[in-house]
Amino acid sequence: MPTFVYMTDCDGCGECVDICPSDIMHIDPTHRRALNIEPNFCWECYSCVKACPQNAIDVRGYAEFAPMGHSVRVLREPEKRTISWKIKFRDGREKNFVSPIRTTEWGSIKSPSDYESPSQDDFRTQELAHEPEALNIDGLPTLTPLRPRQGVV
Amino acid sequence: MFTSNPFADLTAFLPPIAMQVYITLMIVAVALGTVADMLHKNSGKYFAQRLKNSQAAATRELSGADKASLAVKTIAIDVATAGEFCNVQRRISHVLMFYGFLFYVGTTAVMIFGYPTHATPTPMVIPLLWNIGVIMILIGGYWFFFFLRVNVVQDGQPLFRLVLADLFIVSLLGSVTFAFIWEIVQTGDNLTATKIAFGLYILFSTLLFCSVRWSKLAHMFFKPVVAFQRRVEEASGASSLPAPATRNERS
Repeated sequence: MPTFVYMTDCDGCGECVDICPSDIMHIDPTHRRALNIEPNFCWECYSCVKACPQNAIDVRGYAEFAPMGHSVRVLREPEKRTISWKIKFRDGREKNFVSPIRTTEWGSIKSPSDYESPSQDDFRTQELAHEPEALNIDGLPTLTPLRPRQGVV
Repeated sequence: MFTSNPFADLTAFLPPIAMQVYITLMIVAVALGTVADMLHKNSGKYFAQRLKNSQAAATRELSGADKASLAVKTIAIDVATAGEFCNVQRRISHVLMFYGFLFYVGTTAVMIFGYPTHATPTPMVIPLLWNIGVIMILIGGYWFFFFLRVNVVQDGQPLFRLVLADLFIVSLLGSVTFAFIWEIVQTGDNLTATKIAFGLYILFSTLLFCSVRWSKLAHMFFKPVVAFQRRVEEASGASSLPAPATRNERS
């Protein structure tokens, strides 16, 4: 079920543009509001739905299995660290879900750009960027270099 | 300079009646543009549909006092302090432009209709408010144009690639910038420079008020109505959003 934007609710903050891993959330050049430019390429991670502070992004099923008339609304409450989903079926039935979404404060996770840029020496190590600090450990285990026995090789 | 009526000096080459006719024409242009915008987008039809749907979905009846309280909240939060913006910088920029625009347009009309010539001395506070309005728009507007436009900051579009969404901010900034330049140039004795600056001011002002059908100037009329309706829907239980969760105790 790809996402779409209620343009009258969107305030054009760009949070969804930043977070979309498929880079399909963009800004409409006529109204300067967000829109999903290619619903077929949406892999339905719902990152934009969860990130939207205005609750302006909704999800809609493909017409062949989800006829018009249903709705899937999302309410994110960062102060409570919850996200609530309200699924309304075409025949009027409703299902409501609430899930915890965070164990840490909202906004406390650093973005990759907030870390210091790696040096040339860092590229020569086997560790990935920001390891081991980002994993909250002192160091990663390493293998000792292979020392072939003399006379075998 | 900032406490004298700049429009009174215009009488050297422009009769007051011409300025008054121009203002009247611009008011008519804004009214026609707003109606054309509503007809084009079918805003009235969709809003009526939304009203009907929300009334059908309401779980509780709101009293007159409830609605009055919601109206006060809408004016205090959504209108007066641009509460819909989640980004603080955009909110401040919008507030600066909103009040600046009110001062700028309001005092322009007062000076042109009430004190068109030096024969009727203008109270100092009116040109001062006009200048304060101009400066507020310049600060809020250029801040928005260079640093806050979402299609530039988040979407990575080039700063000077203008799109239709920029029509309002560009024409507003053009109008106010050349108004300020014209006011300064007018204090010198160069009539040609004054006429050029004034011509550019009128050009951008005309663009601002005659492009309502394509720009977003009309949002100042319908946004408060939509904000009020949203509050009514939340209060009456007609909102399509899930109910707020109880606190997540385990986190």
